[in-house]
Amino acid sequence: MRRFLADTLFRLLLWGAAIIALFPVIWVVLTSIKPPELSQALPPVWDFAPTLQSYRDVLGGNTYTSQAFGTLLMHSLIVTVASTLLGLALGVPAAYALARFRFRGKRGTANWILSTIMFPPAVSVVPVFIFASKLGLTDTFPVLVVPYAAFNLPMVIWMLRSFIKQIPHEIEEAAMVDGASQGAVLRYIVLPLLMPGIVAASLLSAMLAWNEFLFALTLTRSAAKTAPVGISEFTNMYGTQWGSLTAAATVTVAPILLATLVLRRRLVEGLTFGAVK
Amino acid sequence: MTFDGTFDDKGLSRRALLRGGAALAGGAAFTGLTGAPAMAADAAKPDRLTMLYATSEADSDAIKAALPAFKQAFGFDIALDTMPYNALQQKAFAELASESPYYDIMIVDTPWMPALTNKILPITDMILDPRANEGLDITDFIPKVFYDTAVYRRDNSALHFKDDAAIDPAKIKAEGFDIYGLPVQSNVLTMAYRKDLFEDAALKAAYRTKFGSDLAPPATWDEFAQVAEFMTDSAKRRWGTTLMAGTGDWATDDFKTLLAGFGGDGHLVSDTFEPVFDSPEGVKALTYYAKLIAKKVVPPGTTSASWDTAATSFGSGLTAMSMNYHSETLNPTVKGEIAYAMVPKGVARGPHFGTWMLSVNSYSKNKDWAFRAIKWFTSRETQTKALASQLHPTRLSVYAAAAADPGIVAKFGNFYDVLGQSLQVGVGRPRLTNYADIDRTVWVAVNDAARGAATPEAALKGAAAEVATLLQQAGYKRS
Amino acid sequence: MTVVRTGLRARPAAARTRSTPSRRALKAWGFMLPAGALLLAMTVVPTLYLAYCAFRHEDLLGPNSRWVGLENFRHVLGDPNIWADALTTLQFVALAVAVEMALGLGLALMLSRKLAETDLLTALFILPLGVTPVVSALVFRVLLDPAYGWVDYYLQSWGLIDQPIDWFGEPFYAWTAVIGLDVWQWTPFVALILLAGLQGVPSEPKEAARLDGANALQLFWHIILPFMAPFLAIALVFRAIEAFKTFGSVFVLTGGGPGTSTSLINLDLYRIALQNFDIGAAAALGICFLVVLSLIMGRLLAVLNRNTDILED
Repeated sequence: MRRFLADTLFRLLLWGAAIIALFPVIWVVLTSIKPPELSQALPPVWDFAPTLQSYRDVLGGNTYTSQAFGTLLMHSLIVTVASTLLGLALGVPAAYALARFRFRGKRGTANWILSTIMFPPAVSVVPVFIFASKLGLTDTFPVLVVPYAAFNLPMVIWMLRSFIKQIPHEIEEAAMVDGASQGAVLRYIVLPLLMPGIVAASLLSAMLAWNEFLFALTLTRSAAKTAPVGISEFTNMYGTQWGSLTAAATVTVAPILLATLVLRRRLVEGLTFGAVK
Repeated sequence: MTFDGTFDDKGLSRRALLRGGAALAGGAAFTGLTGAPAMAADAAKPDRLTMLYATSEADSDAIKAALPAFKQAFGFDIALDTMPYNALQQKAFAELASESPYYDIMIVDTPWMPALTNKILPITDMILDPRANEGLDITDFIPKVFYDTAVYRRDNSALHFKDDAAIDPAKIKAEGFDIYGLPVQSNVLTMAYRKDLFEDAALKAAYRTKFGSDLAPPATWDEFAQVAEFMTDSAKRRWGTTLMAGTGDWATDDFKTLLAGFGGDGHLVSDTFEPVFDSPEGVKALTYYAKLIAKKVVPPGTTSASWDTAATSFGSGLTAMSMNYHSETLNPTVKGEIAYAMVPKGVARGPHFGTWMLSVNSYSKNKDWAFRAIKWFTSRETQTKALASQLHPTRLSVYAAAAADPGIVAKFGNFYDVLGQSLQVGVGRPRLTNYADIDRTVWVAVNDAARGAATPEAALKGAAAEVATLLQQAGYKRS
Repeated sequence: MTVVRTGLRARPAAARTRSTPSRRALKAWGFMLPAGALLLAMTVVPTLYLAYCAFRHEDLLGPNSRWVGLENFRHVLGDPNIWADALTTLQFVALAVAVEMALGLGLALMLSRKLAETDLLTALFILPLGVTPVVSALVFRVLLDPAYGWVDYYLQSWGLIDQPIDWFGEPFYAWTAVIGLDVWQWTPFVALILLAGLQGVPSEPKEAARLDGANALQLFWHIILPFMAPFLAIALVFRAIEAFKTFGSVFVLTGGGPGTSTSLINLDLYRIALQNFDIGAAAALGICFLVVLSLIMGRLLAVLNRNTDILED
């Protein structure tokens, strides 16, 4: 009984906090299904006939912007998935080396990796644009995938390094004694145990890539233009097209919610070190 | 000469283009021999032209709507990319800095141009060439708008071409200036007011009793303050006017409008690179502005308002008047009617203005066709058709057409009439490559004074000293 | 507990090496190489180019490029506005990150407790991180608008305030809004890292401590926190670096105002680099920013290293 009471209280607290934290998102979704002329009405209108018109307009390209939003979402998806995978592919081995090997210059290397993301992007975007343009890469997917992977790499490496260090080394040793190579150990022993870390790191990488604005804006024109750049077109000196903007924002944030829901179990369940010890 | 006649017979009709295309090979050889600049009809026709445009600040709707007609006239497409304002400048500068030929046509806003005179193609020679300028009718552009927007000296981009007379490309060239594009969308500060409130019998009577004169849209800044105060009734959630005193370009623009109105130089910085806004006129103007806000004849949040929140406030029926850069619409839930007037007058009148132009990228591979295209997009015919989607015309004849079109008058009231008059007296910006710094310094001073964090005198004095340093750092030497 | 820690950490070198140290080092560098190459190409090369630009007047739009020595540095460091904005940035980072760390830890702990709907709640709590920053800033701005925003409206109609709060017209409220937005958007970032980190806390010492009669606080302080330490450090370091780079949200929300009260250094960088297009001055300021940030982060890492094994070999 006491347990039940505690659980209920805890539940109330959590849901209360969730509703407050989500209020801006709720407002966005609400506004997206409101008739546009009511979006700024005061007192706020709660009783209205919901409409999907804004979604139809935004996804079908019936707005004043130059492209249908569905296309931009597809671009975002390609760039996000590719850059996240690239970041992981490069980050896991590097994290493993930094966690498991002793070598000269290790600490310096780890610090250097961290320092690569410290330069303010408003400045570094200029040379990147010029180089990309000279290489004829402007407005292609790689021109976003590669920088995004590079931005997220330090976080992936540092996070996974800490995870690997928490995996008892004895497991790997046992495998190596059995004759497994370092690569095989990484692939078959470390990687599965690393799942929660990998899930967390890829979720974070994906969200940052999904929402990146400045590079996407500067390095693309239309063939690789991403959703955040498209969304920003709905606001201007005349005012904001709240219907279009909130509909676009809702369809942009929905995949994130979905991905988190799907991955949540792996994020937390993955492993318990108690069990493997 | 009738413009339409010229257009059909010799201009850009499909027939003419086909003829031009047929003469292509011979024409090219001819050009080579005479050494004249390559002309439109001679250059190979591209598959398409690419254009970088502003999403809504310059009404991409109007351009989008014109695309089918363009295709019909030229036989090829325009690939149109639009960007929101802040993004657009980055995009345009980055494209030009990397010498990319991708965009043939770019839209250029006045504050950017001083930095771009080496990157945007001067089109003076094309305009002077009788074979290229057919149908251009350059004297139809509003002179003040044209000089402020498109005429620059390549070797000294800070200089204004000082002339109010009819546009004469030969004279421009003779004085060492060049034409860098054709104006496409003119923005100028105008005043919108709620006609229904100004005609409300009870309000009229009350005004008469109180002031002994008729309630009317204010013509002077004194009247403006009086009417704004009269209209304010915060219990009814109604205020006199919006102002845009938040930190941003809009606050600088509000101030420079008042500065010009109170008799100062609305350019803020003189042609000899002295800050001139901390003059007695400047102090008077900013004091007036701060007083309006202190008296609360403006809605709450005015010291953080920008042009979009001002439009929302007026559109939601919160104010009786509003000054902004476009026609306004009332939310359907607000029952009312809008009319427009020029911004009030002090000892002078100088509403802030700034015009977008269509320009040719100097790295474009299709310069001649790009010139033809911008000529077409800024032509009287295209602009007249674009009136309905709120493109602000740059040609005198289009304003005449707007006044004569009952459909336009029904939709926009007297907006175009007021816009056209205001453009004739508008005051532009100083031409500085670091205008963003100057702009920020001035808006901080305006915002500080507006919320009472500094006196107008102190704010302007501090800002003027800062601006002097900034100008010096950017290499602008006082002469 | 000591046993477990020893089990995790004590790795006699002899037992774990099959190959010689130099061959192992070579292998390590082999693992590092692809990542290192990408970082070199994507971040170091542009930084070197900018270091070159910092000593030049780099006229990307005209013919006037030339060497100017230290003039760019004199120019940006001689500007009192830059110093004021640097200080504002420091305050912003300290405040925002402190709040985010505290709330993020709380959130992670709450979400690590199993309920039927924990999965859903985790996804919901992480959601703000997924909202495009431009959108969150615009939404905060419209909700907080004193004339037609919902926040002032409901605060008034519930009788909590008499007059609408001018959120962006007074420095105190503008700061509240700016910090509030950052906390709202980025607390889930901290929580997500910590939530993953919590999975690394072994269950045996927890149970042992419980059997010994430790209460929740003691359990947290002596068992959970030490194991979480590296993840707290990572969340802190990465969040702090990102907070130093905050630009878009403040640009949209306050534009640096009122006056210059929320003007972060990145607003200056944006203006110099992408509006004035003065890449020389921007690079000079960017390099100063990099140096200061590296010093701060170096110091922070050193402090963290005393309490965690974040850098330990």
